[in-house]
This record gives sequence, structure tokens and C-alpha cells, in this order.
Amino acid sequence: MDRAIPLTSPGPPGTDVERSFKKAILRVVKGGPARLAIEAGEIDAIIDPGSGNAILLPAAQRALIERKAGFRSLVGLAFDWYWELDERYRFISHQGASDDADGFAEEGMIGKTLWDLSIDNMSDADWRTHRQQLEWRAIFRDLEIRRVGRTGEVRYLSTSGEPIFDDRNQFKGYRGITRDITERRQAEALMRDPPRFDRAIVDALEAPIAVLDETGAVLTTNQAWRTLVTTHPGAGTGVAVGSNYLVVWDGACGDERVDGKSIAAGIRQVLAAERAVFRYECACNSPSERSWFALSVTGMSGNDPARAVVSYEDITERKRGELLLGLELTVARCLADADTATVALLSVIRAICETQGWDCGRYFCMDQSAGVLRFVESWGISSAVIEQFLAKSRGMVFRPGAGLAGRVYQSAQPLWRLDGPRGARGSSMALAPETSKSGAYVFPVTVDDKVIGVLDFCGSKVREPDDHMLHALRSIGSQLGRFLLRQQAVNTLRVNEMRFRVLTNLASDWHWEQDGNFRLTQVVGCSPFGTPDVLGLTHWDVPLVVADAGWAEHKSQLAARWSFCDFELTIAHAEGKRAHYSISGEPVYDEAGVFTGYCGIGIDITLRKRAEIELRESEARLRARLAR
Amino acid sequence: MACKQKGRTASDSRTAKDMVMVLYITESGPNSVRAVANLEAICKEHSQHNFRLEIIDVLQYPLRALADGVVVTPSLAKLFPLPAATVVGSLSDKSGVLRALGIAE
Repeated sequence: MDRAIPLTSPGPPGTDVERSFKKAILRVVKGGPARLAIEAGEIDAIIDPGSGNAILLPAAQRALIERKAGFRSLVGLAFDWYWELDERYRFISHQGASDDADGFAEEGMIGKTLWDLSIDNMSDADWRTHRQQLEWRAIFRDLEIRRVGRTGEVRYLSTSGEPIFDDRNQFKGYRGITRDITERRQAEALMRDPPRFDRAIVDALEAPIAVLDETGAVLTTNQAWRTLVTTHPGAGTGVAVGSNYLVVWDGACGDERVDGKSIAAGIRQVLAAERAVFRYECACNSPSERSWFALSVTGMSGNDPARAVVSYEDITERKRGELLLGLELTVARCLADADTATVALLSVIRAICETQGWDCGRYFCMDQSAGVLRFVESWGISSAVIEQFLAKSRGMVFRPGAGLAGRVYQSAQPLWRLDGPRGARGSSMALAPETSKSGAYVFPVTVDDKVIGVLDFCGSKVREPDDHMLHALRSIGSQLGRFLLRQQAVNTLRVNEMRFRVLTNLASDWHWEQDGNFRLTQVVGCSPFGTPDVLGLTHWDVPLVVADAGWAEHKSQLAARWSFCDFELTIAHAEGKRAHYSISGEPVYDEAGVFTGYCGIGIDITLRKRAEIELRESEARLRARLAR
Repeated sequence: MACKQKGRTASDSRTAKDMVMVLYITESGPNSVRAVANLEAICKEHSQHNFRLEIIDVLQYPLRALADGVVVTPSLAKLFPLPAATVVGSLSDKSGVLRALGIAE
């Protein structure tokens, strides 16, 4: 109870106020030493015998005010919120740094009791106890309350209070302070339960993680690990806490057998501290698609039983990109090695199927004369169902716009159908007559943006194509289209050549070729010369050829690289008979335009020449007879 | 007893060598603060005496001061050994204080 009565300021020296103040003081203080001390300024307060109050002198008054201000400032540093309650425990005032932060202010706490506010950690029993304390007018300290704000933010507050009494010792209410202890509480929670904190961190990691002990048994896993088994079942992903991870890989079978042995060996090395980290890339086959993971096993040291951490990283996207790049190279190599369209189609379809995990592929070519897409070639895995399906495909045709293949031909855009409801671009109705499989991918084979056919693939692992896949298959379609067009041109050339050769054979008895020095290098057909005997000789050096003046002109024609036609040569046989032949030839140049020799044909004209001779002889005889 | 005390209170058993004093102050008053400090220094300097000091804040207990005949603070009242004496002010006059307390310099 503060019974000091600060006097009003005495005012400047010499003023009426100052004088009346001193008069009042000296009326109270009658003793000489006390008066002298007052005059000397060594007195702080005077006790008025009449009222029993202490009267502060100005200097003490200022000191007291400053001290209270300082104290208030210090107290302000120690709490976030100061409050007062009335005698019915209702808030009548509150102020402090956290008025805006604690959320109580916005809730409108004036007129409410503490238990009327949104506090969720106090049971009815707790409130009864607290109210009993208040009824007993007890000082309460560090009552901890928890409040969940509108945004879901949890705040912890610590509040302390003491009762207020008036001069007549009547209870007037409570006053107290509240501190925000949220950060402290959170820190304490973390300190109290570090394993739980660690688990929360591990569970928050995106990568699937498992911790192994020295035997390979799984000590703990995170949420991503537990989810992995539902999305990617396979060896290594379904290992629960308590199971042995090494045993799982040791027992891997089928496609995963080789991976399993390598992975188990690597993990053993890490557990034995022979290596710090082991990494391995492995495939994981699910019924719907194929995924790839980078498995990483990192060694641990310390006193706890954990010896290694296993983590998976999904590298499917990267792997698919690599496979598509490899597929493009494979297709290019197949086309380079193939000498026929059939071989090329088979090898390309097979490469695509094996890379993408599809069951079979078919090529339909546009038959321009009939205006339909016609089945040309196919490849499939060794399966009775697939073979039956492909056998049914033979002879199958599609009109443009009909079926998936017809629609791809018409639009020049790829279409696909996924398994069941995953289907995207391509209705099952359109595909149903064409395939018996659940998924299909069809893309055009093009030449300069013109579609010449479509490739149709089926399989249970057809997935939604990404940009990489669309680009790769478009590129493959273009490569294959150019190859097929080139092959078509080669075939046409070959047919034409064959036709020309047949006609040539019909029009001549033999054909021949010469090198740049006019020496015979090839003689094919019914030539008058024995073939082995004349190779390497010029026509005029051939034995029994009659030399006459015509050869000089012929040689000059050859030297000039002129074509020649029906040059006649005569062979005199030993028995005296003469045979007559006619040869024609054309100069031959290589791709660089360099002269390489001559090629031409020969015709036996002996009968004609003999007939001419006989005709001339008859004519001569007739003329002679007429002359006689 | 709601008052500030140095050593034991005056009501404690005391011996013939004890010197019992009461210092009436106004807490936080500049002269009172100085008086406490000066008296502390004197007590320490003359520690051969067995001082029993009680400090009373008149803002809390004004009636106690009136009952003891004290009307200004700071005031130091020597109660024992007799004769009783009172010193008014900040006790900065060390000689005057020692003289009042009956201690030879």
C-alpha cells in the first residue's frame, strides 16, 4: 500500500507556489535539525502527523517516478501481455506487445473470462481447479494454455496472476501477465522426443529410404518406401521392417536374378565397411509399365545398430530417354544393314518392340492403286496368342479414316490407346476390330510429310507417350519412310534394268564390255569368240578377225569416245568360211565423269551378208547376161 | 515484519556490545539511497562494533515512523546503547554520525 502523497511542484524559487510549499513543510517539521536538513536538500519525505501520510519532496518524487517508469519498462520486457480482471474474473483491460499476435484480442476478450476463450488444452476439471484458486484469491503462476488460431497455428501461452484488493481489503479482481512460450514448447517437444523428430524428417523425404542393421535386416523405413511397394512391386521394394533385405535380393528370380546377385554383393560390401557407397541401376517391372531405379546404399558408423541406408531414386524418365536414343541409333543401323524392305521392316519393328516392351508390331502400307492400307509385315514375341493375332492380321486392309491405322494415315498424327480407363487419344471402339491387346500405339511412316504407311504396335505396357517418345517415333517413322521410298526406287530400277536386259538379249546375240584401253572385259551371250580367249584383247586383236581399212576409222571413233553402230567385222575360219558380225557400242563414264571404257552388243549377220553377197552375185550374173 | 533489515532485527536478543539502529528512508529517494550507502560504509569501517540495523520504508509504514517520533526521511535513530540519538539527512557528515552513535573516530 503506497500512502505517499506527492506534493505538487513547489515551482521556481521565489514564487508564491514555492513559498507556500515551504510554509506547509515547515509547519509540519518543527525540529531544528530537520529544518536545516530540509534547507540543505537532504530530505526525501516528510511524514504528516495529522494525516499519517508520507509527503514526498520534489527530488524524491521525480526519482520515484523515474524508478517506476524504469521498472515498468523492465517488466514490459519480461512478458508479452499485461491484463486485469474484475471481481468476476472478466477481462477489463489488456495490453502488450503480443496483442495483435496472440489472437485473443481479435476474439474480443474484454468482458469474457479466461475459460470463455478458445483454449483447447484445459479440461473441465482443470478449469474447476483454476477457478477454485481464484476463489481462494491465490496467486497463480505459469498457468499454461494452448490456443489454436484461425489458421490452425498452435500457440502456447503462460499466464500468471495475483489478486487485487482495495484500501478496505476488498477483493477487486486479478491482474497478471501472459508470455508466449510457443517456441520454447516446440523446442522442448523436439528435445523430449528426438526419435519422433527424426522420423518426421525421414518421412518427409521424397526418396524411399530404409535403414539396415549389420545383418541386412530392415530397422526402419520412411513413408515413401512404404508407398513404393504399392506403386512398383518387385524385388527390393516390398521389404518391411524386420525383414532381411539381403535375403530378398539373394532370392530374386527371373529378370531380377542378375540384378539381385549384384545388389546383394554390393550391400554386403557396404555392411562390412569395405566400401562407403554402393550404387546400382535396376529395372522394376510392374504389370502396367517398366520403371528404373538408382539404388544407393550408404554405410553408417556409430554406436547404434544402423549400418547402412538404402535409398531409391526414380530414374525412369532418364532411362526412357536413353532407350529412345538407343532405339533411334538401332533403327538407323538396321536400315543401313538391310538390303530389302522386308528385312528393314522386320528389324525395325522388332527393335521398337524390344525397346518399349511391346508384344508385336505391324506395318500397313498405302496401296495407292486400291486406295487402302494393306498389311505388309509384322513381328511379335514368341506367344501363341500373338502369333494367332498376327496371322489374322495378314490380308487385313483399312480405308483411310477407318480404324486406328486409317485415322493415323488420314491425320498424319500418332494415336494410342492405353489399357482400360487410362486410354487417352484413341477410342477403344476404333481399335477393337484391329487388335486383341489392351494397349496400342500407331504412328505414321512419312516421306516429306506425306504418309506412305503406318506402324501399329500392341502390348500390355503401352503407356502415355511423353514428348521424348513422340519425337523419337516421329523420327523413326521418317527414317523408315525414306528407306522404303528409296527401296521402292531401287526395286523399280532393278525391274527396269531386268526388262532392258531381256530386250537387249532379244535384240542381240551377245553383249560386251571394254576397259579404257578398249580391251574386252566381259563377253556374255552367243559370241563368235571363245570368251576366255578374247578377254583382255581388243576387237581388232581377236584371232581370225580380218583386218581391213574399216578398223582405222573404228579406232578413230573409239579414241573420240563416239558411239558407234553396226560396225561390221569379218572372221575368216580355217576351213575358208567367213562369218560376219555387227557390233554397236557406247562409251561408259563413272560418277565423276571419267571415261572407263565401252559397252555394247554384237549380232551375227553372216546369213544376211551371205544373202547380200548372193544377191550381188545374182545381180552381177543377170547384168552380164543382159549385156550379152 | 515487513521491513528491510540489515543483520538481525532489533527485537532479536542482543548483547551489551550490540548497537541497535533504525534507518527510516523513502525507497528510491536520492537522499535515502545515499544514507543507506553512507551508513553501510561506516558500519564496514567500524566493524568491531556489533551493529543491529533495521531499515524502514516510510512509504509503506508511515505510522511506524510517526510512532518512533520520526517526521523526515532519511533519519537514523540510535536506540541502544543509551543515550538514544537521531541523525537527519543523507548521513554524508561522517563525523556527525559517529559522534551521534558514540563511536570515536
